[in-house]
Amino acid sequence: MDRNAVLAVLIEQIRIVEPALAEQEIKAEDSMAAIGLDSMSRQEVLILGMEALGLNLPMVQLFGPRNLGELADLLHAKLQG
Amino acid sequence: MSAAGTAGIEALNFYGGSAYIDVRELCEHRGLDMPRFENLLMREKTVALPYEDPVSFAVNAARPLVDRLSAAERDRIEMVVTCTESGIDFGKSLSTYVHKLLGLKPNCRLFEIKQACYSGTAGLQMAINFILSGTSPGAKALVIASDISRFALADANAIQEWAYSEPSSGAGAVAALVSDTPWIWRVDAGAYGNHAFEVMDTCRPGPDNEAGDADLSLMAYLDCCEQAYRDYARRVADVDFRGSFDYLCFHTPFGGMVKGAHRQLMRKILRATPAETEEDFARRMAPGLSFGQRVGNTAGASVLLALAGTLATGDFSQPRRIGMFSYGSGCCSEFFSGVADAEGQRRLRELAWGEALDRRYRLSMAEYETLLRGNDVIRFGTKDAQFDHRIVPDAWAAFAADKRLVLDRVAAYHREYRWAE
Repeated sequence: MDRNAVLAVLIEQIRIVEPALAEQEIKAEDSMAAIGLDSMSRQEVLILGMEALGLNLPMVQLFGPRNLGELADLLHAKLQG
Repeated sequence: MSAAGTAGIEALNFYGGSAYIDVRELCEHRGLDMPRFENLLMREKTVALPYEDPVSFAVNAARPLVDRLSAAERDRIEMVVTCTESGIDFGKSLSTYVHKLLGLKPNCRLFEIKQACYSGTAGLQMAINFILSGTSPGAKALVIASDISRFALADANAIQEWAYSEPSSGAGAVAALVSDTPWIWRVDAGAYGNHAFEVMDTCRPGPDNEAGDADLSLMAYLDCCEQAYRDYARRVADVDFRGSFDYLCFHTPFGGMVKGAHRQLMRKILRATPAETEEDFARRMAPGLSFGQRVGNTAGASVLLALAGTLATGDFSQPRRIGMFSYGSGCCSEFFSGVADAEGQRRLRELAWGEALDRRYRLSMAEYETLLRGNDVIRFGTKDAQFDHRIVPDAWAAFAADKRLVLDRVAAYHREYRWAE
């Protein structure tokens, strides 16, 4: 799975957690906070995202990325082991 | 009901302050997003007045318990543990003041515990293990978790940074008398699990300020909740997250946080559907939020406050096992459990906590903003001070009605208190 596929998985989870964003364009440069997800919804996206990618990591290892592109890079690197 | 190998909470009381603000009104006043406010699951937050401190909160929580004891029973209190992240001195512990103000006997162990919001559980476990050790048969220990959030001493530009931490942070103290006659809650001795690791999620790096990252703190809380439970399940035979616990009480930074942690456990451990999770939360966890929703995050006291909320409002027609999760930033956590029954519920209800919260004075936004300017709040390390008990004139009646302890003055760093009347 390449990095863009990981990003697509994340965006899919965002639309599940926040159905109001179903029609809105979501880009790699967007941060979850900026598009309106509160702190608990952001965690929910991370949990669902890891589940969809088959990852089981401590949540704190996902701290740091400033936008969805950086988060996709991080998860992609974790998938590569 | 005293028996070898039995320990737990004999009596439990809470002091939720004498003044509060309506959280919805505060969010509107600050221009915060209302849908997000709804996710906090908060209604009111207690505000400590400038002449209150963690000592006065602790004593106001403990005094009704001590007053109910006979002289002989009171003299069996052989340990006072204060648990706080709102300390007033780097050396002298709150417990020394508490011990004096409650009139306890001198041959008594006094100390204070710090580990952010985990402190109350650390203190409770120390006390329980003292009782279980049998080194002083029949002894009692008084554990008091007392914490106060202070926004008054932050700089004037801090309001934007506070965001949702301002409406969710509260003040309160829970006093637990721990003994071998645990009328309120009997611990499942040896049934516990821990998870801890170093993380810089939230902290109090200076005497009067807080710092941290909300996302990192939520992540650490969620990791700990799952792993502490898994450690519990490793130690205790045949544990089933769905069937073993009739109720669940978690440390509550805000109600929405607890809901998220519960959702994660239900999905990861039980593969539960969203509908099952929703029903389970309403049945096993919502009762634990009933007091916390009215005072805000009480830090070290909050897991015991969740226990009290469950006991006050739950169905205890039969004995019920309660699973408890405590988390303190930095971080350390614990999942543990105990059993409560109808007698515990009756004894807890006698103290009428809900009515005491109803008697608090509701601050207007103008009064709250006056307090926030901080002119009357003493900084950590103040040598001398005198307190104006009329700073919010209408609030004084709430103190006087229940003869509550208040700070009177500070003389050469020594804090002096008096009973309001």
